[in-house]
Amino acid sequence: MTQKINLHRAVFPVWVILLVLLMVVALAAAVHVFINGLVVTNLTDLVPWGLWIGIDLSAIALSAGAFSLSAAVYLLGWKQLQPVARTAVFIGFLGYSMAMLCLLMDIGRPDRFWHAVAFWNIHSPLWEVTMCVMLYFTVLVLEVAPIFGDASWFKARWPKLSHRLHNIHKFAPALAIAGLCFSLLHQSSLGATYGVLKARPIWYKPSLAVLFIVSAVIGGLALTVLASKVAALLSEKANVREEVLNKVSQAIGWMLFGYLYLRFWDTLGMEYTLEPGRTEGLHLLTSGALSFNFWVGELLLGILVPAVILVSARLRRQPRLHLLALLLVVGGLVAYRWDTNIVGQMVAFSYLPTQIEPLYTTYSPSLVEVLVGLGVIAYGLLAFTLGVRYLGIVDHSTLPEAAVEPVLATPLPSPTD
Amino acid sequence: MNNKIGRRDFIKLAAVGTAVTTVTIAAKGNPLAEGEATSPYRWAMVIDQAKCVGCGKCSLACQAHNDTREDAPWNRMIELEPLNGEPVYAPVPCMHCENAPCVDICPVGATYHRADGIVMMDYEKCIGCRYCQLACPYGSRTFNWDTHTGANSAVPEWGEPEVERRPRGVAEKCTFCFHRIDRGLAEGLMPGIDRQATPACVAACPVGARIFGDLNDPNSPVSVALAKYPSVQLRQELGTSPRVFYLPARREETEESA
Repeated sequence: MTQKINLHRAVFPVWVILLVLLMVVALAAAVHVFINGLVVTNLTDLVPWGLWIGIDLSAIALSAGAFSLSAAVYLLGWKQLQPVARTAVFIGFLGYSMAMLCLLMDIGRPDRFWHAVAFWNIHSPLWEVTMCVMLYFTVLVLEVAPIFGDASWFKARWPKLSHRLHNIHKFAPALAIAGLCFSLLHQSSLGATYGVLKARPIWYKPSLAVLFIVSAVIGGLALTVLASKVAALLSEKANVREEVLNKVSQAIGWMLFGYLYLRFWDTLGMEYTLEPGRTEGLHLLTSGALSFNFWVGELLLGILVPAVILVSARLRRQPRLHLLALLLVVGGLVAYRWDTNIVGQMVAFSYLPTQIEPLYTTYSPSLVEVLVGLGVIAYGLLAFTLGVRYLGIVDHSTLPEAAVEPVLATPLPSPTD
Repeated sequence: MNNKIGRRDFIKLAAVGTAVTTVTIAAKGNPLAEGEATSPYRWAMVIDQAKCVGCGKCSLACQAHNDTREDAPWNRMIELEPLNGEPVYAPVPCMHCENAPCVDICPVGATYHRADGIVMMDYEKCIGCRYCQLACPYGSRTFNWDTHTGANSAVPEWGEPEVERRPRGVAEKCTFCFHRIDRGLAEGLMPGIDRQATPACVAACPVGARIFGDLNDPNSPVSVALAKYPSVQLRQELGTSPRVFYLPARREETEESA
């Protein structure tokens, strides 16, 4: 324990300073973009969605632990997961704010971000995603509010406000339901955002919606367990119940096998048709520029290896291997989102009758894009670090040995209240 | 106990949510239906590849009249495989699809159908997400990555700008020169027949390879051309139903000119 505290004390300031520096640099880069326009990125008319969209998709997907675990606790009644859900909700809150920061950078007119609320096109998957993201972020704010209210320093300073925020917890089941609805909608329709585009044959399929939500739930759970474990390893303010996290990890392992099955048929199904644009895109994934990402990043290291580790009790018992497996799941999800976004844009559609060969494009993010991206990620890491230290977001100590009644950070009011 | 409340809440909330959504959608109406408001006209363009010599004057006139960037033309001139040793060209404007993917997916409805079928851009609504660029099967959309400054190299030789430059951060594309059509109709002119009322590219074509007019009128230049020759639309199999028709380069025409 002393060792942990010593390590923590040495590393903490360096870590925080590093993250703050990255954020300051990103802020400067963002100002550069706002002043000079998106021309400073490497995005083009042929590849208009790049690194920021990749971060945005990954951040939203990796936030899926929040709705999954909230539903497990408040709808399925798996109360022993309550403290894990608390961590997941905080991560979700950070993930969605990261995604919105990225989107704000990415759109050409950030001053019009509210247009989706004012001007509806109910036929657009992207409109639905935008509305759901905004509504779900509101849910997350309400879910996170009691975490702030319950922090001891907050209570001491603003006792009245603390009490009010604390009381929002009464609505936890209703919020879990709202969160589940919004998430089921937009996590899958983020896939459909690509899936409805006839112009990009590699994307044009209904399976993207299914694959997006399944991979998001798995990745979101993995990040929640990973972050909890790493926090417990590095901070004396965090403590976890390994046996609870262990169950989640085992579930992730089995879900990965199911996900691999879906991915297998999704890819194989495409191989059996020769369709202009789609076939070229598939070849980019299986034997072209994205093949390492696809075979190694997405499938081998992203699904198969962690699935075996997490399903096997013997392998899972080794702490380093367990952590590695979770990290691989998160990496695999990011690789899947990156590849999906980029592959449809690397093969430009051939619309002329005599043009048989499609046009191939390339994209690598500019320095400005990378710096802004790093800054957004640094914000997430810093906020999580501070959350662990000052809000106790990774704290399983409230959990009794056998949870019979719902054990919440704050008890539910009795019916006579 | 908590469990039961959760399930009941779920059903209640789901019911309320569905009701609210249904009512809202019903109240708002189908935005696509607005495109079906009445207009006596259905504008269309015919490009005769047998006549097109690829001189690019259509692109220059477009660049001048619509004040577009030189490197992001609304009308692209593409050289195809030669036929009988003769070069074949495909000028590609916006197809003004009847089932336009861009109109379907624009999150804020910044691109929409006018009653006469023209696919419009509302530069005041556009948030610059560039989803339309991914959705367009014809690569017809360009984005204003920076502010468009500097002189227009096609002005004044090929015409004067008739519309404002688009601001930074919004998407743009060919508009069938809707401003020329509207102004012409107001002056009692007929688009497709009177030059001033016809899209700049059509008016500028020196060999009459571009034809414009009203599909509703059987005597309009486009209706006559489409009745006389077989025509194709680009990527017909997608079901986008473009309002731009191509008359493929014909063997007899190339033989005649040879």
